Formats: sequence, structure tokens, C-alpha cells
Amino acid sequence: MPKILIVDASKCVGCRDCELVCSAKHYQTFKSSLSGIATIKFDEISRDVPMVCQQCEKPACQAVCPVNAISRDEETAALVINYDLCIGCKACVSACPFGAIHFDDEEKRPIKCDLCDGDPECVKICPSEALKYEEADKATMAKRRESIEHLPELLKLITGEKG
Amino acid sequence: MAFKGGYAGQLLYIDLTKEKIKKAPLDEELSKKYIGGAGLAAKLLYDMIPKGIDPLSPRNVLGFFVGPLTGTLFPQASRYTVAAKNPLTNAWGEAHAGGFWGPELKLAGYDGIIFTGKAKKPVYLFIDNDEVEIRSAKNLWGMKTSEAMDRMIEIHKDPQIESVAIGPAGENLVRFACIFTRNGRVAARSGMGLVMGSKNLKLIAVRGTKGLDVAQPDEYLDAVKVWYDKVLNHPYTEGRVKYGTTELIDLMQSIGRLPTYNMQQGVFDEWENISCDTYRDKYFLRPRADYACIQRCGRFVSVATGPYKCMGKGPEYECISALGSKCGNSNLAAIIYTHHLCDEYGMDSIGTGSVIAWAMECYEKGILTEKDTGGLAFNWGDHELIVKLVEMIAKRKEIGNLLAEGSYRAAKKLGRGSEKYVMHVKGQDMASQEPRAQKSMGLAAATAARGADHLYAFPVLDEGQIFTKEIKQWYGTKYLPEIGERLSPKNKGFMISHNENYSVLIESLGVCKYGTMVPPALYYEDIIRAIEVTMGWKVTEKELKKIGERIVNLNRLFNVREGITRKDDSLPDRLTKEPAPLGVPKGQVVELDQMLDEYYKYRGWDKKTGKPTKKKLKELGLSEEAKFE
Repeated sequence: MPKILIVDASKCVGCRDCELVCSAKHYQTFKSSLSGIATIKFDEISRDVPMVCQQCEKPACQAVCPVNAISRDEETAALVINYDLCIGCKACVSACPFGAIHFDDEEKRPIKCDLCDGDPECVKICPSEALKYEEADKATMAKRRESIEHLPELLKLITGEKG
Repeated sequence: MAFKGGYAGQLLYIDLTKEKIKKAPLDEELSKKYIGGAGLAAKLLYDMIPKGIDPLSPRNVLGFFVGPLTGTLFPQASRYTVAAKNPLTNAWGEAHAGGFWGPELKLAGYDGIIFTGKAKKPVYLFIDNDEVEIRSAKNLWGMKTSEAMDRMIEIHKDPQIESVAIGPAGENLVRFACIFTRNGRVAARSGMGLVMGSKNLKLIAVRGTKGLDVAQPDEYLDAVKVWYDKVLNHPYTEGRVKYGTTELIDLMQSIGRLPTYNMQQGVFDEWENISCDTYRDKYFLRPRADYACIQRCGRFVSVATGPYKCMGKGPEYECISALGSKCGNSNLAAIIYTHHLCDEYGMDSIGTGSVIAWAMECYEKGILTEKDTGGLAFNWGDHELIVKLVEMIAKRKEIGNLLAEGSYRAAKKLGRGSEKYVMHVKGQDMASQEPRAQKSMGLAAATAARGADHLYAFPVLDEGQIFTKEIKQWYGTKYLPEIGERLSPKNKGFMISHNENYSVLIESLGVCKYGTMVPPALYYEDIIRAIEVTMGWKVTEKELKKIGERIVNLNRLFNVREGITRKDDSLPDRLTKEPAPLGVPKGQVVELDQMLDEYYKYRGWDKKTGKPTKKKLKELGLSEEAKFE
């Protein structure tokens, strides 16, 4: 089963390392608009949310691409852009419901996450483990476990148990 | 362009009087001599600021600089330096901050901005990559910092805009006004917000979307792995991530180094109310990092209910101590709220807490009476009073008008012997580093170029007993054991000169002292590697130490030119003559003269005058700069 990139926004600290390493790996420069991932700050609720391609099962970007430049990688299941075919029409940029495809003005091409051929750099660099790359069932089970970590404490409160 | 990486290669000159904007290439030779950030500030402003000027006059020059690592993936590469003639000390002034503004400036294509003159009416500078515009700040004047920054996002319709701004305190010429940076980071010291206010400059908004290249991108990413491993695996990092600097409250209390009641003592009876666990249990929300920051010591906090209800970035150790223990105040909700107000009004919380603590001691001693205060009782620990005073100071209302001058000038105005209760060096208030409990901190405060300061030398390895390995790495074995002993004055002259050279280099590179100095996870070997993969320059440790030394000496020359001598490298009598009354350092005083003699020896400065010798200046290539005499 291919792995998926899981974002846990509650752990993100907003350092933008994921953006920096992404553009450095793919384009040998530090530039947000050449990164497939971006962190969005919500100061009002003290949150940071990394936004990245969800590698949708029914990808709007692929559906609207007039030259079939977007295809699914057989091994990683990532949606990847074939820049030899891409005509830079930006239809995918408009179609993505997450804003996960960005058009870079200098390279003149759409930029999206390609899961680094199955070894995503953003996951490796994230200092707070807000990004994970795991099999879907493992990832969700881990998330479920984490979300009930405080349950024993709650139970103690409810039952009035001490210690 | 000659630069292979790290630099934007361009400086921005803004003449506020003539409303003229000029872009000029950054000189590569100059960069090799001074790196960037604090180093570039030292050189360019030394040349531009005439001797003897009033820091509040249009002739003062205000410069913002980033370093060549700012904006890259180097751990904590978020920093900028702001410098000008210091209105607190009438000598060298600089301050530093993290956040995201520095990197944004670099990504907009600039290594620095230099402001000269004074705008006729309030203005702000707007930078959108190559577009630079001086715009009217008529509608921003009077606004608190966060409000003015939010307005930028609305006006320019871009939530990614990063800003630095002054608040009402800077506009009202409060002596210790700071420059606030979005993401809750503050260029706090040296009254830089006051200089900005004196120039009628409210804010600098920046949007930068260009790329930043490094000389060896593949090697850079390999090096990042090494640096990140060192920082993340350092045993000290865990506590830093969990508590940030608030864990220092507990450490300082335990070693008797937590300034209390205007630094009369280094232990605070009520410290548990402001401890790091109280902070975390009651008010902590989440960590928030600065740009490329893997230490993640910034925090969102919230006071959920009551009169001090607020939410935002949390106070650091310095702020908790200045507005807390220094004033005998252990109401942590009030401290968080006061910190929030200081940020909003744009005031250095160290300066704010220090002047209030001074006034409280004067009140206790009967020097300051209710006649002076308009009926207000300045009792230790009165948190309601402290909150009230912040607004009065920012608006220069009633007694706030006197306190807004800062403790040094307020005492001069008040007289009556109140001067001896001012805990300052060269006119700038001391940070919360009680030096009777750690002698190196005393020497550091006395010699720092910008006036009382713990960060210019940042002696932290002798603070606890946890950095024994690093003490050997940094200083060798020759100076053991005294160099690692908090209460020994011996070998501290060597330590402080060594630290200052390294510390100014770190500020010149545009990275944080956390990770490079505490925890001391990265050191010269890592800096050498960073310079190689970022800028493509091969440098040796010896060469880097010389660059640091050159910057320190140029800062000193600036001060010498303004009349600073050995007698100004002093500490308040309380610290050198009154034995510490309580705790671990009980009975201790700071043996400053002994340490100064040793310091000048290592510096190659004249022991009597404190001036760099001709020989030293020649060795550092500063003979031209010394020609003012």
C-alpha cells in the first residue's frame, strides 16, 4: 500500500522549514513559490497549517489538464506533472480546491508536491513531527491513538479516582 | 553579480528629508571584512554618523541589516540587526530580533536599509520586491503596533506582508521605545524605537518573493542535516522546546541570580508563582517558531479570564523578571498582560520594568513621594500600579512623563540621591542577570558596546554545571577550573573577549544565539562550513575570530569617538560594593576592576583609558577608522 503524507496541524510551529527544503531540493534555491508545501499562519487562533497536495483520488487538476500532463506515479501514487507536456495554462492552479498548486512566475510552470519519489524531504526536516509519511491505515490509527491519549485522565476526572 | 550565494547583493538608502530612494550594490570586499548584519552596521554607520550628534537629530542614521545566512535553512536563520547612535547612552546602539521580517527583506532583494534625515510628516516604507515607496503614515500614527501591522495587510491586500513598527511610545519619544516585529519579536534595546520615532518613521512593510541562492545547494542540504542533528539532539534543547526562556526563572532562582526588588537581591520568595511550570500549566497554548527555527522557543499564551485577559505571544525570561521579580511582582497573569501592553505600545520591557523597579525603591526609601507621583503609592508588587504605569509612560502622562525618560535620566532629573539606585551601565538599564551571582555577567554588562547588556558577550557556559564539555571546546584546558566557576572573577577577561568576538560574528551572519551559544550546539567549525556552502568562501577559524574582533573594536572606536573611556565600563555600586544578601552568592560582590584589567589585556586596549592601542587597530585593518583623534 502506498504511503500518504499526513499533516497534523496541531503540531506545526510555523517555522517554514518544509517550504525551504522543498524548493532547495527541487530547484536548488530557497523560494516559497517553488515549494509544493506552504504553512499558513492563523495568529488569532494561534495555529499554523501546512497546506500541501492531498494527491486526491478524483483529482480536479488532472481532470482539467487539457494536455494530460498530470499522471499518477505507479509506486508512490503521487500526482506528478510532466513538464515536457505542460503548456502552462494554469487550469490546474484554478481547479485545485486546496490551492495546493502554485504557478511560479520565473520558472513559468505550476509547482506541486511530488512526494519526492517516496521519500519526502519536508517530513524528514520537520522539527515538530507535524508531517508524517505512512501507510494510510497506520497513520490514521496512530492519530486515533493520539487523540485519546488524554482519555485515562478524563476517566479519572469522571470517576473521581485519585492518583 | 560577484556573490555566489547568501547575499541579495543590494542595499537600500532612504533619505527621509528629501524623500529620495537609492539602491546601491553591496560591496563584496566589505562583506568579506564585516560579513553582514551587526558587522555591516558597525562599519557603515561608523562612517556615516558624525561625532557628537544628538541621537534624536535628523543627522542620526538608522540602519536595518540582515546577514548572509538570514533566509536560508540554517537553524534559526531569522535575525536582523537595527543600529543607530543610542539615545540611552549617547554612544553605539544596536538591537536584534527574529520573526519573519528579516528573511522577507532578504527575499525582497536587500541586505539592508539605511535611513537618513527626518520625514516632515509621519511616513512608512513599503517594499514589494523591486518596488519601494515612502508613503504617508497619517492614518497609522497613534496606532498600537499590532493594529498598524494589520492595517498594512488590509491596505496592501496581502496577508504575507511582514512589518516592523513603532507604537505610541516611539512616537511620544519614550527613551526606551523598541521596534516591534510581527510574530512577537522585538528589537528591544538601545532605544531604537525612539530613533525611528524621531525620524517620523512609523513602520516598514516588506513583501519579498524572490529566491535566495546558496553557493553549493547540494552540499548545503547535507550540511543542514549535520546542523539540525547537533541542535535537536543537544540535551539542553528539550527544555528549550518545552519552556523556552521561561525555564531560566527556575535556574536563576536556584543560583541566586534572579534580580529582585531592583536588584537588591538575587532570590525572590514568591518565585514559584512565576516559575516555568506555573507558566506552562496555566497560560501556555502552543509553541510558535520564527523563520527556520528548530528551537521553537516562542510561545502563544493566553490569560483566559479576569482583568488581565489577553492572548498573544508570551513573555520571555527577561520580561517576566523585569516586570515581575525586579518589581517584587509575582502575579503572572499581570506580567503576561503588561508584556502584551509593552509590545502594543512599543516599549522595551526591560527598560519599563527597570524604571518602575527604580521608582519603587525610591518610594520605599522616601526619595520619591506621593507628591511626585500624583498620589500613587509605589509599593513593591503592586501589579495594578504596574499595568497603569505602562500606559502612563507610553503616553507620557503625569509621573509617566518622568519615567518615560528611563531610570538613568529620570534619576538625574529627580536627584535627591536617587541616582545610586539606577541599575545601569552607560545609561542603559541592566538586564535580569544579577552579576554578583555570576561574575562573567558583570564584566559582560560593563564592557558591552551598547551599554548594559548580557547578549554582546552572552557568557552562559559558566551559568550551570551542564556545559563542561563545551567549556573545554571553547576555551581549552588552560583556564580551568576558574573559567567554569560562576563566582570566580579569574580568567573572565579572556572569556568575555572570546565570547564577544564569536557573538558579534553570529549577529553578523543573521542567525540566533540560541543553538550557536546556548545551547552551544554549533560552533566555529559549523560556521566555517555554513560560510563555505552558503557564500562559497573558504575561511579559517582564525580569520573568523579576527572578523569578530574587528567588529568589536570598531564598536569600541565608535564609543571612544563619543568620549567613552574605562570609567564608563562600570557597574552600579550596589553590585561592586554591597555584598549579595541572600542565597548562593551571599557575601559576594563583583570584582570588576580585576576583571577589567584582564579584559583589556586580552583585548589589546590601553589599561588606563580603555582605548584600543594603535598596534591592535593596525593589526585589524582599522588604522583609517582611528584617524578621528
